[in-house]
Amino acid sequence: MSTATAAPTDDSRTGTTRNAVGAGTARGPARPAAPAPLAPPPAVGRLRRALDPGTARGKLARLALAAVVPVAVAAVLWGSGTWPAALTVDATAPLDRVSDWIVDNRETHWVFLYVLLHWSNTAIDAIDGVYLLLRWLGWAGTGTAAVLLSWRAAGGGRRGLRVAVTTAAVFAACGLLGMWEPTMVTLALMAVSVAAAAVLGVLLGLAAGLSDRVHRALRPVLDTMQVLPAFAYLLPFVLVFGIGSPAALFSTVIYAAPPMARLTAMGLRGADPGVLEASASLGASRLQRLRTARLPLARAEILLGLNQTIMMALSMVVIASVIGAGGLGDEVYQALATVDVGRALAAGIPIVLLAVWLDRTTAAAGERLDDPVRADGFGPLRTWAARAAAPAAVAAAVTAALAARAAGATAWPEGWTVAIARPVNLAKDWIVANLSEGVPVVGGTLVWAGNFTEWLLNPLRDGLQAMPWWSVLLLVAALARLVGTWRTAATATAAMAAVGVLGVWGRSLNTLSQVLAGLAVTLLLGIAVGILAARVRWVERALRPVLDTLQTMPQFVYLIPVVALFNVGRAAAVAAAVVYALPAVVRITTQGLRQVDPAAMEAARSLGATGVQQLRQVQLPLARPALLLAVNQGVVLVLAVVIIGGMVGGGALGYDVVKGLSRGDLGLGLVAGTAIVCLGLVLDRVTQPAGARTKQ
Amino acid sequence: MTTTAPVPAPAPATPGGKNRPGDAPAPVFSVRNLWKVFGPKAERIPGSEAAGLSAAELRERTGCTAAVRDVSFDVHPGEVFVVMGLSGSGKSTLVRCLTRLIEPTSGSLSIDGEDVLGMDRSRLRELRRRRAAMVFQHFGLLPHRTVVDNIAYGLEIQGVGRAERRRRAAEMLEKVGLAGMGRRRPAQLSGGQQQRVGLARALACDPEVLLFDEPFSALDPIVRRDMQDEVVRLHREEGRTMVFITHDLSEALRLGDRIALMRDGRIVQLGIPEEIVGSPADDYVRDFVRDVPREQVVTARTAMRPARGDEAESSGPAVSPDATVASVIEAVARTGGPARVMDGRRCLGVVDQQRLLAVVAGITPDAAPAAPAAPGTAEAA
Amino acid sequence: MHTGERPRTPARARTRTRTRVAVAAACALGTLVLSACGAAETGKQSLADSNTVNLTAPSWVGAEANTAVAAHLLEEELGYNVRTRQMGEVLAWDALSRGDVDAILEDWGHPQEEKRYVEEKKTVVSGGDLGVTGHIGWFVPKYFADEHPDVTDWRNLDKYADELRTPESGDKGQLLEGSPDYVTNDEALIKNLDLDLKPVYAGSEATQITQIRRSAENRKPFLTYWWTPQWLNAEVEMVEVELPERTEGCDADPERIDCAYPKTPLQKFLNADFAENGGRAAQFLKNFRWTEDQQNEVAQMIAGERMPAEEAAEKWVEENPQVWKKWIP
Repeated sequence: MSTATAAPTDDSRTGTTRNAVGAGTARGPARPAAPAPLAPPPAVGRLRRALDPGTARGKLARLALAAVVPVAVAAVLWGSGTWPAALTVDATAPLDRVSDWIVDNRETHWVFLYVLLHWSNTAIDAIDGVYLLLRWLGWAGTGTAAVLLSWRAAGGGRRGLRVAVTTAAVFAACGLLGMWEPTMVTLALMAVSVAAAAVLGVLLGLAAGLSDRVHRALRPVLDTMQVLPAFAYLLPFVLVFGIGSPAALFSTVIYAAPPMARLTAMGLRGADPGVLEASASLGASRLQRLRTARLPLARAEILLGLNQTIMMALSMVVIASVIGAGGLGDEVYQALATVDVGRALAAGIPIVLLAVWLDRTTAAAGERLDDPVRADGFGPLRTWAARAAAPAAVAAAVTAALAARAAGATAWPEGWTVAIARPVNLAKDWIVANLSEGVPVVGGTLVWAGNFTEWLLNPLRDGLQAMPWWSVLLLVAALARLVGTWRTAATATAAMAAVGVLGVWGRSLNTLSQVLAGLAVTLLLGIAVGILAARVRWVERALRPVLDTLQTMPQFVYLIPVVALFNVGRAAAVAAAVVYALPAVVRITTQGLRQVDPAAMEAARSLGATGVQQLRQVQLPLARPALLLAVNQGVVLVLAVVIIGGMVGGGALGYDVVKGLSRGDLGLGLVAGTAIVCLGLVLDRVTQPAGARTKQ
Repeated sequence: MTTTAPVPAPAPATPGGKNRPGDAPAPVFSVRNLWKVFGPKAERIPGSEAAGLSAAELRERTGCTAAVRDVSFDVHPGEVFVVMGLSGSGKSTLVRCLTRLIEPTSGSLSIDGEDVLGMDRSRLRELRRRRAAMVFQHFGLLPHRTVVDNIAYGLEIQGVGRAERRRRAAEMLEKVGLAGMGRRRPAQLSGGQQQRVGLARALACDPEVLLFDEPFSALDPIVRRDMQDEVVRLHREEGRTMVFITHDLSEALRLGDRIALMRDGRIVQLGIPEEIVGSPADDYVRDFVRDVPREQVVTARTAMRPARGDEAESSGPAVSPDATVASVIEAVARTGGPARVMDGRRCLGVVDQQRLLAVVAGITPDAAPAAPAAPGTAEAA
Repeated sequence: MHTGERPRTPARARTRTRTRVAVAAACALGTLVLSACGAAETGKQSLADSNTVNLTAPSWVGAEANTAVAAHLLEEELGYNVRTRQMGEVLAWDALSRGDVDAILEDWGHPQEEKRYVEEKKTVVSGGDLGVTGHIGWFVPKYFADEHPDVTDWRNLDKYADELRTPESGDKGQLLEGSPDYVTNDEALIKNLDLDLKPVYAGSEATQITQIRRSAENRKPFLTYWWTPQWLNAEVEMVEVELPERTEGCDADPERIDCAYPKTPLQKFLNADFAENGGRAAQFLKNFRWTEDQQNEVAQMIAGERMPAEEAAEKWVEENPQVWKKWIP
């Protein structure tokens, strides 16, 4: 709404920053429009050129100028080793006091009695309600309902049929794996948390979409949420709500709502201004405009938001098994305790399948929006059919449920299961035995892990930790300034400094070294595979299901194979991170290369460029934005697994978070969690070109 | 309708209505000293010394942009009032100010004598719902609705029941020549068809005034011509008042009863098409109308000179004063002699070959000492 | 510039709407809060009734065996429904205090929690001994000890630091640590005994076990924090390294510990409410008491033979009625 007013504000803001920073020394270049009465002496001209904010060197030079005094002062005051103790703040003690207060007061204080406990009880009732409904419907009724509703959501027809078949297959597979019961528990929790997250997300999105002030306030929060690892904030929920479904529900809602809010706001803000103006010109009130124009125009984005919310909720429901979510996640978690990969996989596969089902269904529902209208005069019969579809589906589901009940078969029939645990374990053992050591020429994974740790991780970690603390800050500032604005640099530097202030400087740098190493491997592998997939169709087709599975499979399932292959330690943590981040990097790279302007490719071919030349000279340069995005996504995803890394010997911040959570130590866990968020902000800012963010 | 007593529009700020004799009906829109300034502390600009600055200077000194500067005019019932200008001249802002889609910074504005700027929200909504409907350059159709529902959209906002608004929408569909396409979505229509939908949507509200914001700029030339004919036809059939924004001079000349030419937020000339073409107020306008086929715009009344000697009784062809020069050329070419401009039995003047050529060439005939170039100017002065 | 402009409402009107929206939101929120007009009932549990007993299912298998057998007997012999929930040890204490969980069947000693919940808040009461004695220590595999018999004395550990070295531990010997849940004094021990070792945290019991198994398969030397009873001991034979003997008060200050871990008689704890009003279930859990061997038998079935816990419990119950009959109140 304020396109005209916002621009000058931005200008003035950057203007003041420039002037403030360059005061005295670099005023001239900041205002190139100012007429120079006399030709400046050559030295000044050279200085100006060197400080030209348009060039990379200029940016750095100006940064160096701005930083030289504070750095000198800081180095003199606090030395040049690791983060000075004088600059740390003990956050642990107050957090522990908060934790104690919660434990001491949660049975008596009104906040708990009159507010939080009501929420908690409502959550339990809602989840139980859905669960009891699913249980009453039994496998026959639930399956029928799911198939029919998916068919309906996809808009019927051929697409509906495809989705319906997928749904039927997914549910059958869940039953066959002997996971019907946990699947229903997970579905119940999912249903409630997705509904709540969607409502919360839409409300926030509406507020941010309609009000600039809310938008400005909400954006940094959502940005932070994006890099916030789920594990990091489970603990407060446990302290307040105890172990069980309420804590799981609320943490899931908080984790899953941001994409919905973000996309809803985006949809509302991106609505065709012409249409909105037309609506206003016809005298629509704000509410009418919202209802008839804005919301319908944002439907595609909202649906995409729902899709992402569902996926996030699904991954969180698994993680939340640590705090008593039950269901499939709990099955995986328990299998982990007995080091049973087969059993973990049997519970992990239904999660992947649920993800596939929900993803396909929401995607099909989204495609339906783009459908051209059925040709003229879809008769009353079809209208009637469309309207009656939902009740008919319900009726069919109830009938199926009743029939199954009459036959006495509400639970999944016991004979209809396939035990995959044993063969999976055998396969895993075989792989581990054959890949880990003694492979001719390449050596085997244990050897790699050893070399990787000794030659990359150790030097990187020791190097980072040996750097003077102010030089780390300076490095962060320089990188952030190169890719973004002064604001970016300030945010990134402040976040990095916050890590030091929290007193976890050394551990954070350790984590950082793992993230960087993981990122390097991910990018090398991901971009190579991405190039291959972009050039060879069948590779892409073959890779897609593998990548989808890798991405949706609960990370717990990887822990044991990863340790078996790479030994306990940071190498295993990096391996887990690579597995998790690789799919996104491959996908973005492939898409980026594919979307390169065909005209440019044609021109290159017409000039007789070889395949390699085309790739090097045309495709890669033109796909640069996509590759940068891949780097950014890679960083965020790799960081997300740092905590999982703590469970396979990665140590550092990840271990602290896990330890804090399992010991109920709010101080330890939250400080480490906050440090991870700060690292995330640093890495995100440093890898995210300013242009990409302003577009958002 | 054609202005019978053309005005010279000597100064851009001259209220357009003053040339009207007292018996003329009250104007639909009456705009006085209207300003729209974008930027910080915009409300301080009108009336201050900054008001006189050029656009660039104003921006440099205050950070503000004046899109509409001190504009005054009247729109009379039943006329097609065209506002023309290049992009950036403020014309689209001006038309939006009329229904306060853009809030004017200062000035006064009334519709049928009622102060628009003083209206509260509900009154303003009423104005937009029933009295003035707008057609947009990019149509502004709702992509998720069918054509019929798009046309009925205005009625829906007014709170008309579903059956009734569907019925009226179907009528409008017929009227704009889209019968049978009611169940399609906008994306399935061509640009011209989409704009017909936009037009039908505006008409469905049965507004007193139709506002067009460059409605045909986005269309192909042939389709544009069809649409212009459509507007002419509608205007002839219904006689609705229209305010029409365009950057296309030929469109303005084709449709406009009166034309206001804008530049940098000001109206530089306001008058009937012939005046704009025949006696441009300044070099800017002259430049603007240079390539116009003047013989098709300028009338015999403008082109004629007083009869000399017995020319009034000569045997040359008689033409009406409103005839275009093009048609006079035809008559003169056929007979060879000068044409007499006849108002009934009275001879107003004579158009000879020299005069005709002067019109076509775009020069002022028998320049300096002779009779005033344009008789219209003389009359008004 | 005009084409780019959006319709504007006057600034004041906009503020007014915003205020109105804010007021509406506040009202909605207020209603929501007010609808919660009374104090909520505490300790509400999912699908719970008075006939349900909630037990923790800790992450290590020994405790899983306790829970499985207790659950089996509660359901089959006493007619209760049992819900088991997996959670970390400290979280389990918290849940026990709130009544989310009725009993912990195997506690390895949490003095801080005991003080808070048993002594101060009195929400938890002791349920007596489990009958099993736990012991934590440092262990090396038997094949390594056989080769170098003197490794079982802590004084000689430095000699083998080089063999225990991994890329992860850098230039020191690696001491493998387990889940962050576990009570450990190892950092203090290493420091106070001045050993050339570095603890490496596996991060979870599962990964620690995987690592031990992998090392054993390849017959690599390793040193690990470990404990008995543990089912893995049946699969991978391990020998304890002797740490300095315990003296009175040697572990009083966590920073200055320089002696071996104690032998811990494992304890049961019950939610105070449940202990009083839990009827036969509470009495049964108080009576529940078995030996290390018995526990290991079940644990081995679960973890070693990959048998589902319920089946293992059922099998053991069938075979050992003489043991459990006396637990039934």
